[in-house]
Amino acid sequence: MKNRVAVWVLGLAGLTAAVAPAVAQSSLPLPSPVEKELAARASNVTEVTLGKNMLAFAAKFLDGKDKDDEATRHLIEGLDGIYVRSYEFDKEGQYSLDEVDKLRAYFGTGGEWSSIVRERDKKSGESTDVMMKMVNGSPHGLFVLDAEPRELSIVLILGPVKMEDLSRLSGIGGLGVLGDLDPESHGNGNKNKDKFEKDKAKAPKAKTGGEE
Amino acid sequence: MRKLVLIPICFFALAVPVVVLANGVSGGFDQVVSSIETRYHVHADRIPLLGLVNFMARASTHDGVRGMHVAEIEGFEADVDGEELNKLVAEKLGPGWERVIRETSRHGGDQTLIFMRPEGSRMGMFVLDLGGHEMDVVQMSVDPEHLSEKIGKYERHERE
Repeated sequence: MKNRVAVWVLGLAGLTAAVAPAVAQSSLPLPSPVEKELAARASNVTEVTLGKNMLAFAAKFLDGKDKDDEATRHLIEGLDGIYVRSYEFDKEGQYSLDEVDKLRAYFGTGGEWSSIVRERDKKSGESTDVMMKMVNGSPHGLFVLDAEPRELSIVLILGPVKMEDLSRLSGIGGLGVLGDLDPESHGNGNKNKDKFEKDKAKAPKAKTGGEE
Repeated sequence: MRKLVLIPICFFALAVPVVVLANGVSGGFDQVVSSIETRYHVHADRIPLLGLVNFMARASTHDGVRGMHVAEIEGFEADVDGEELNKLVAEKLGPGWERVIRETSRHGGDQTLIFMRPEGSRMGMFVLDLGGHEMDVVQMSVDPEHLSEKIGKYERHERE
């Protein structure tokens, strides 16, 4: 158990280092009412909330002596906040599509958000939404909502973040889902590469992408 | 005779700052631990000679880590409501602390809470972990720059 605590402490240090940056905690949204209900039903809940202060602290763990560290540090220092929620359920059907819609609406109501990936699998009921906040033509936030039969994951990153930098954050607790979004990554990532490039091209004008 | 007098003087000269520094951040920590003891009818074991451990940790990390507090609760049998535990910890820790990580399981009784608080150029970290029938509570103050330097040194050493 002591080892577990040590792992958590070191993991957090590493995580903060990997995650890092910059938005005031206050700029992160409050949990939506739906999340409270989901948390009550879920068998496992993971919550990660990193405001600007915490990200700045995390960035200090990167000494910037190597190029990767330097790039990650810059990325982290520029961020305003990271908000991750993961709900795992014992069995299928523990959440409704209506609740997923409410979550989507809660986080993605602003006019600056554009849908860049919208994936629906009617057979399994799985769905993935990736939205990007565009400010003056530049990405300034990323929202991912991934719904699987027994798991719901929400990732919200506020601040300037480029798609190509996402893999730098995927080491952080709860942000593993970002690895799949990295257009340069191998494996499943390649599957998404074409889709990303296609979606990136239409991102600025599309509020919602095409259904698959 | 003079040497014999010097020994206790030196001991107190070293012990007093160690104890003072060790207690500097213990207010919230102690309150959290005693509230847990009361609420769940458990007894926390404090690590003996923690002041000395702190002193060594501080010296060996070049002040990267200080103000360490550790409490271990064995035989934790009570059912824990994650929301209630979170509230209790947040309330007893006091203002300034932000919860950055919370992991809670409804059935297994596994609970992890990590709070952080900026302390000038340093950062306070509070970790509570309940797994099975054991709960560990740790608080410390970390200087990320010094610690990063130290970790980097060991990483380089390992690579070599």
